[in-house]
Amino acid sequence: MIQAPPPTKVAASIVRLFGPHARVDTLHVDSAAVLRISAGDSLLGFAQVGSVIGKDQPITFLVAIDPANRLKDVDILVYREPYGGEVAYEAWRKQFRGKAAADPLQVGRDIRSISGATISVHAVTAGVRRMLAELTAWHESGAIR
Amino acid sequence: MFRAAARGALVALLASVATLRPGGAGAQERTTVGGYGEVHYVNRTGPSTPGTVDLKRFVVYLAHTFNDQIAFRSELEVEDAKVEGAQPGGEVALEQAYLDYRLSDALTVRSGLVLPPVGIINETHEPPTFNGVDRPGFDHDVIPTTWREIGVGAVGRVPGADGLSYRVYLVNGLRAAGFSAAEGIREGRQEGREASFANPSFTGRVEWARPGLKLGGSFWYGGTADADPALGTGAFAAPITLLSADARYDVGAFLFRAVAASIWVSDAEAINTRYALAPASSQKLNAFVRHERYDTQAAVPAGTARDETLARRITTFGLSYKPTYNTAFKGDYQLLRNEAGTGATDVLSLGIGYQF
Repeated sequence: MIQAPPPTKVAASIVRLFGPHARVDTLHVDSAAVLRISAGDSLLGFAQVGSVIGKDQPITFLVAIDPANRLKDVDILVYREPYGGEVAYEAWRKQFRGKAAADPLQVGRDIRSISGATISVHAVTAGVRRMLAELTAWHESGAIR
Repeated sequence: MFRAAARGALVALLASVATLRPGGAGAQERTTVGGYGEVHYVNRTGPSTPGTVDLKRFVVYLAHTFNDQIAFRSELEVEDAKVEGAQPGGEVALEQAYLDYRLSDALTVRSGLVLPPVGIINETHEPPTFNGVDRPGFDHDVIPTTWREIGVGAVGRVPGADGLSYRVYLVNGLRAAGFSAAEGIREGRQEGREASFANPSFTGRVEWARPGLKLGGSFWYGGTADADPALGTGAFAAPITLLSADARYDVGAFLFRAVAASIWVSDAEAINTRYALAPASSQKLNAFVRHERYDTQAAVPAGTARDETLARRITTFGLSYKPTYNTAFKGDYQLLRNEAGTGATDVLSLGIGYQF
């Protein structure tokens, strides 16, 4: 289930990751919407918004990749649970930067957990792994370009 | 006919409010159900002590999300499987019931029956999250887990300080009438049951987190007299102060937990170290050792004899097998000792626990 985050949050996230002059186009693949980010003639990357269920609430996040399919960053757009909000901390999110679809992206292996936020850590990590694999596959197949 | 018309009007009114609400995008109203529970087998050493089994806890978690800003959350607990009039044991109680109003990442207003944010286990008490069949004695006799009181407060992240978060609440006070030598402040809790608000009390916590590391500091301050003329009628009469610090550090296959707390005339600390095997798979086998030292009579008024059996020294060895991180099979062996050197008891416990 994907819940729409406030558009201003998505825009702010894109500006933070790709700069204020990035152009954003929406591409449709299967039933998913992928954001294509470019500047002039050059592709800067792709981004997608998704949701995973934490303990019982959806956690809405954005995953952005660069043209080489490396993960640029993860942004937590809307967090609704009473506990586990540590997944929004940059110190935790930055573990994902530079990851590729071939990396394990597993809690306890290349992603360290945060005590007291275990459920959210597992949920977001699984969601990012899935989304990175999807974006990479679509980019490599030419479904997004 | 009349009822139908009235309902229609009400729906229309709600719809117009919904469309007027700013920031409502993405909000979906929904109710969710979860739960946790545990079953224990306990066998104490000594003559004629057969083991006992108990459905220790069965808790239903019920939450409703009204929109991205407002949510209700509750936990309803049955202890010891059943409650019957005039029989000892057994309890039906609300463990939490509060409304969250999220204004920003930095500020959520929380009101209702809330958990004082003290130590590690009071707020995160689901059985798969701690080692040992039962909660540590420290989290029973010193930090009276599960501690809940009625009040209002603020929780959120500290803006501009990545990793730092806070929770502060104004809640009803403890009642000194319930305090005891053996269990400290435990029975002074009011737990939301027609609680006296004679002694408004403050509790809070600051927490700093990094991957693998979490440090926290907690406090409670408030009167306990409950307008008893012998203790004082002021809002802060017969005050208690609780200060607590805790640390959780995970490095490689080792997970360390430490909590220290000091309350009024009480003094206690507990150290919990566990060793996790096979951390790379989704299953986990934790071997752990925990040492607790606490004394609910660390200091007594002049003229009162100190009971040295209350200076407890508990060492626990155990295993927790977690086929998923939300389920646990547990076993442990406890050496219960005290400073007086009397009543040494060993306890074997087995248990299962889950949360969802």
